[in-house]
Amino acid sequence: MSRRKAVNQTLLVAVAAGFTFVSTAPLIWMALGAFKTVAEFIAIPPVWIPNFTYLRNFSDLWDNYAPFLLNSLLASVGSTLLTLVLALPTAFGLVHFKMRSANALADWILSTRMMPPIAAAVPLFIIFNWLGLLDSVWALIIGYAGFNLPFAVWVAMSFLRRVPRAVLEAARLDGCSWLQTLMWVALPMCVSGLMTVAIFVFIFSWNEFMLALFLTSRTARTFPVVIASFVATGKVYWEYLSTSTIIQCLPPVILSLVMQRRIVSGMTMGAVKQ
Amino acid sequence: MPVLLKAQPVKQFRYSAPWRVSTLWKDRVQQFLFIAPTSFYLVVLTLFPFIYSVYLSLHKVRLTTLHRKLFVGLQNYVNLFHDGVFMEALRNTALLIIASLILEILIGFVMAKVFYEIRRIRWVNGLRSVYLMPVMLTPLSVGVTFGYILNPTLGIMNYLLQCIGLSPVAWLGEPTTAQISILMINVWQWSPFMMLLILAGLTSIPQNIYEAAEVDGAKWHHIVRFVEIPSVRSIIMLGAILRIIDMLRFFDVVYVATRGGPANATMLVTLYAYQEDFQYFDVGQGSAAAVLILIISIVVTTFAVRFMRSIEYEQA
Repeated sequence: MSRRKAVNQTLLVAVAAGFTFVSTAPLIWMALGAFKTVAEFIAIPPVWIPNFTYLRNFSDLWDNYAPFLLNSLLASVGSTLLTLVLALPTAFGLVHFKMRSANALADWILSTRMMPPIAAAVPLFIIFNWLGLLDSVWALIIGYAGFNLPFAVWVAMSFLRRVPRAVLEAARLDGCSWLQTLMWVALPMCVSGLMTVAIFVFIFSWNEFMLALFLTSRTARTFPVVIASFVATGKVYWEYLSTSTIIQCLPPVILSLVMQRRIVSGMTMGAVKQ
Repeated sequence: MPVLLKAQPVKQFRYSAPWRVSTLWKDRVQQFLFIAPTSFYLVVLTLFPFIYSVYLSLHKVRLTTLHRKLFVGLQNYVNLFHDGVFMEALRNTALLIIASLILEILIGFVMAKVFYEIRRIRWVNGLRSVYLMPVMLTPLSVGVTFGYILNPTLGIMNYLLQCIGLSPVAWLGEPTTAQISILMINVWQWSPFMMLLILAGLTSIPQNIYEAAEVDGAKWHHIVRFVEIPSVRSIIMLGAILRIIDMLRFFDVVYVATRGGPANATMLVTLYAYQEDFQYFDVGQGSAAAVLILIISIVVTTFAVRFMRSIEYEQA
């Protein structure tokens, strides 16, 4: 019996390993491409193991497209900060204030997360055009923050709910303002939840493509828009394709390995916790 | 001890002793400042644009000459339903959503079961987080990656097919295979997400139920059918809702891998609206398409919000 069980377990591990391979193989194949010359990249039969000392693709890409990488970084970090500044007090208020309409307001905020961005595309284009912010990183920061706010509020609510009321009450009686209570009492008690929100908002902004596509045209283009332009124009820039893809995917991959268990609660907006 | 909790409604509670009127007033101002900016922000950035989209959809207007709007009533909507491309986009989107959901739930359940059975092996945790990686990847680069892999002449996929003696396939080049390819890319990226959700559901089943079933002489398929599937039903529902909402805005992969082609076989509603708006500059038509997507989303959302309020899973 126990031997059969061991065999079963080995079989299941093999299945899991197989699926994991399928899950990662496309990206690994792309990563190998980053070290190939154009000729090697499009060679058939393929070059399986490239020369890893060939770093020309990286240096070329860095020389020509570093500003766009910086745009991506600025837009992501900026919108993460803006989202947190707006979302944390709101989430705290929705959970801990004495408000009759708290539930309705929370539901409304959640429902805006579910709206498709394409339905806001032209009006946003018009608003940012009017503000003179087209092709500016600021437009991206403001736009991304708007689309990430509902997510941030909901996940923040799910962890702020766990802060014991007695603690907050004590802080209030000791004369803390609400802001001080939030900053010095509530938030330090849920650092890990805070990190979850920040990392997710960062990744969502980093991965965003459609808004960046129509809100930027030249100088403020983000990295995904640049990658799309390697394919979209008549000539395909094979040499940059895999290198840029790998650079683009590196932050999400690293952060997802760091996040591990918190991915569930993040991806379900706090509905499932671990 | 894993437990299944009902979400608690926000409780009414009074904190500060309101012995002075001014304290109470200050309190109110502070509370207002906590809530108001976000609400205002969301009104300006999401609510207003949606309403404005509805307004635009009732006009004939071009992106290049936005100040000249001609009221045409529902004409844009009528055009939409006479436009074969839009109808095809609608059908493709519906098919993609249904097929993806079935495959993702199926694969997700099987993989969750596999990872659940081997959860006691220590390094399996690491394996699982590697398996999950596609979920976090930039959708656009997923599109680029598969565009290269499925390239008919340079792609490794056809090379591998030929190695095992099969004839090459025009993956993204033929209507049917392109649809299947887009479906597979989607399933590849999102099955791990379903797996993770269902695994969370499985882990929250109390062990004594398994023991009781074993005592009653239940076979493994009995356990799957009468214990596991009922326990994870609501979490699958949650996953399905989140996936539907995400797939209604599915855009990046088709934009970079097929551009809706060949012959509009992979045209999706989001891509259609985007092209009307920013390639043909027909903002009225594009907005009408966007408003229809919005209406579908609202129907799904109404379900979703009620549902997300009603469940909350918790695992120890």
